[in-house]
Amino acid sequence: MGIVLFWGCYVTNALLIAVPVSPLVGALLVRLPRTPAGADRVNIFSASISAAVALTAGVLGALNGARGLHGSWFLLDRAGASFLAVIAVIGWCSAVVSPAYLAGAGKSLFTARRARAWYYTAFHLFWAALLALALVNNLGVAWLLVEATTGASALLVAYSGRTSALEAGWKYLVLTTFGLAVALLGILILFVGLAPHGGTLATLDWQNIARHAAGLAPRTALFALILILVGLAAKIGWAPVHNWLPDAHSEAPPPVSALLSAALLPTVMLVAWRVVLTLGVAVPHHLADNLMVAFGLASLAIAIPFLWRPMAWKRLLAYSSLEHMGILALGIGFASPLASVGVIIHLAGHALAKSLGFYAAIPLARHDPSSAHRAPRGLVRLSTPVAAAAGVSLGSLSGLPPSPLFLSELLILLGGVAAHQVVIVSIAAVLMALGFLGLAHALIETLAGESHGQRWRSGRTVRLAGRLTVALTMGLLALSAGAYLLVDSQAGVNLMAGIA
Amino acid sequence: MTGAVIWGLLVSSLAVIMVRRRSLAIALVASQSLGLGVYAITQGSGTQVALVVAGTVLIAKALVLPALLIFTVRRARKTRLIATELPALARLAIVVAFALAVEQLIPRFGLPDASVEHVAVGMLALGILTAVVRRAVLFQALGFLIAENGIYLAGLSLPGGLPVFIELGLVFDLVVIVSVAAAFTTKIYEQLGSGDSSLLGVLRD
Repeated sequence: MGIVLFWGCYVTNALLIAVPVSPLVGALLVRLPRTPAGADRVNIFSASISAAVALTAGVLGALNGARGLHGSWFLLDRAGASFLAVIAVIGWCSAVVSPAYLAGAGKSLFTARRARAWYYTAFHLFWAALLALALVNNLGVAWLLVEATTGASALLVAYSGRTSALEAGWKYLVLTTFGLAVALLGILILFVGLAPHGGTLATLDWQNIARHAAGLAPRTALFALILILVGLAAKIGWAPVHNWLPDAHSEAPPPVSALLSAALLPTVMLVAWRVVLTLGVAVPHHLADNLMVAFGLASLAIAIPFLWRPMAWKRLLAYSSLEHMGILALGIGFASPLASVGVIIHLAGHALAKSLGFYAAIPLARHDPSSAHRAPRGLVRLSTPVAAAAGVSLGSLSGLPPSPLFLSELLILLGGVAAHQVVIVSIAAVLMALGFLGLAHALIETLAGESHGQRWRSGRTVRLAGRLTVALTMGLLALSAGAYLLVDSQAGVNLMAGIA
Repeated sequence: MTGAVIWGLLVSSLAVIMVRRRSLAIALVASQSLGLGVYAITQGSGTQVALVVAGTVLIAKALVLPALLIFTVRRARKTRLIATELPALARLAIVVAFALAVEQLIPRFGLPDASVEHVAVGMLALGILTAVVRRAVLFQALGFLIAENGIYLAGLSLPGGLPVFIELGLVFDLVVIVSVAAAFTTKIYEQLGSGDSSLLGVLRD
């Protein structure tokens, strides 16, 4: 029996180590081929292995009881497993569409000979940091990984080498690095407060923070919490520290924009969520939850006016990310089981719908370069697959049934009612309705507005958009069906049981 | 930690706000990192691991990164002047006022030495403010180093220090971030003929 247990632990440890190591190896392997086609093949092969390993770990974590998988360095409860699965799927999709983007990308930040190798290297390193982030059981290590994502992703944001891309990348680098420095001060304050309970790296394990937070001096806990959340907010892109978000999302290559919006922002939010749950008990008046609600409302309020304006496709999606990160913050702030289930469904639904929108930007930019600066119109007359991709993406993001986001937004609002936050729920409902109207208008104009020019030829990027639309639409529908099953379950109660 | 070292850290941070020459600013930050590194080595003389970590941090922050930034300055050819910044004294006044306000906002958080605590928080604020009041991208990158030196100072004054993994992770991240910032700086100079961040203002809604 002992040997079986030991062997089981060994295999689990090996599998979880392989989760971030696979894309790290991929980052090295993509530098070996001498031809672009070779680099593309190695990229897709490595990405497939990495995604398979991460999905296997995610399924294991989700099936391993309420407390999930635990170890000296990892924690994979149901929330972590959900995030890991989302990062794996979006990372794989982005890796698969990258060759199509790179084939027509033109000039870049790097010399032409090495551009593709640099792109894939930075992409796999970024992905590795994200996958590790969903696994780690320690706030300090999580901070290091969040900071590590900045280095690789800033280069990717500026990949095109245009002045606007340099501006976006630089803004992203500066704002998020200083934001994270503020969060680091908060972590240091927390570490000093918890030092009597160890003073080692393990002091910042989530379970240790949860166990000892109540014993912290209230002022220490308060300042640590505020600094950590404000610092992380700069990376998540919550208003009012969101300035880098629309620029970085709109200037990055579409596969990277998808990874930024659908994987990076939510994953850093997982860290913030765990901070709220572990440290929130040490501060009075539900301050941690209220801070999340404030971030949520501010993000919604700032995003909505931009959703009502005609805007370049990727920029519209970027402001939609701000809106959805706001909705997720509200769900976390409401702190009820119903809202927590809503958060997980929203996270997954947003990831699938948003990434599809960004992938649609590849054929859009290829056939209509002006779409980088103005809102696309009348796609139905120009290309059925691209119109389908844009329609499914915007329709889902707006919350039209049967999009899973319709149910998740409803769950989050009902969770707010359950938490007796009726006034906040009312304000949020009005803002969400305004957001829906803005995106619905954009959807109609994008699909059926007046368009000029001939119908696009069905090239590689158009065909890819069509295939991805089928696959991701099926994913969205499956999520909607699964979401209805989750509503009545105990899923919301046990999501974060791993930190207890 | 002696008062002279603490004052040296603070004055060098403030000087970066004022000086005009990029190489001088890099030298100031390098001297700051050197002072902290030497202090860390004298503190960590008890254990071999602590010495190795302190030495690694010193080499990275006081030698490698400043050398990288000097190399970047040499490569970056200025063909346009940076648009007028605020006068040095005005910059100093703004920064000191904000830094003092931050000092007042953050309460004591439990480091053994109150002055170290104040200077650590002050350096973090000064690092961020450097990026706000200086237009040259290279100065903004130096702000990362000043802010991180503030956190490092606080970590050094902890009775058991920061965990080794965190300390090495921090310096690794810093090397990555400053290297990426240096790559950006080079490209920005190539495209704009200047490191003026105010010229990077095309993205507006």
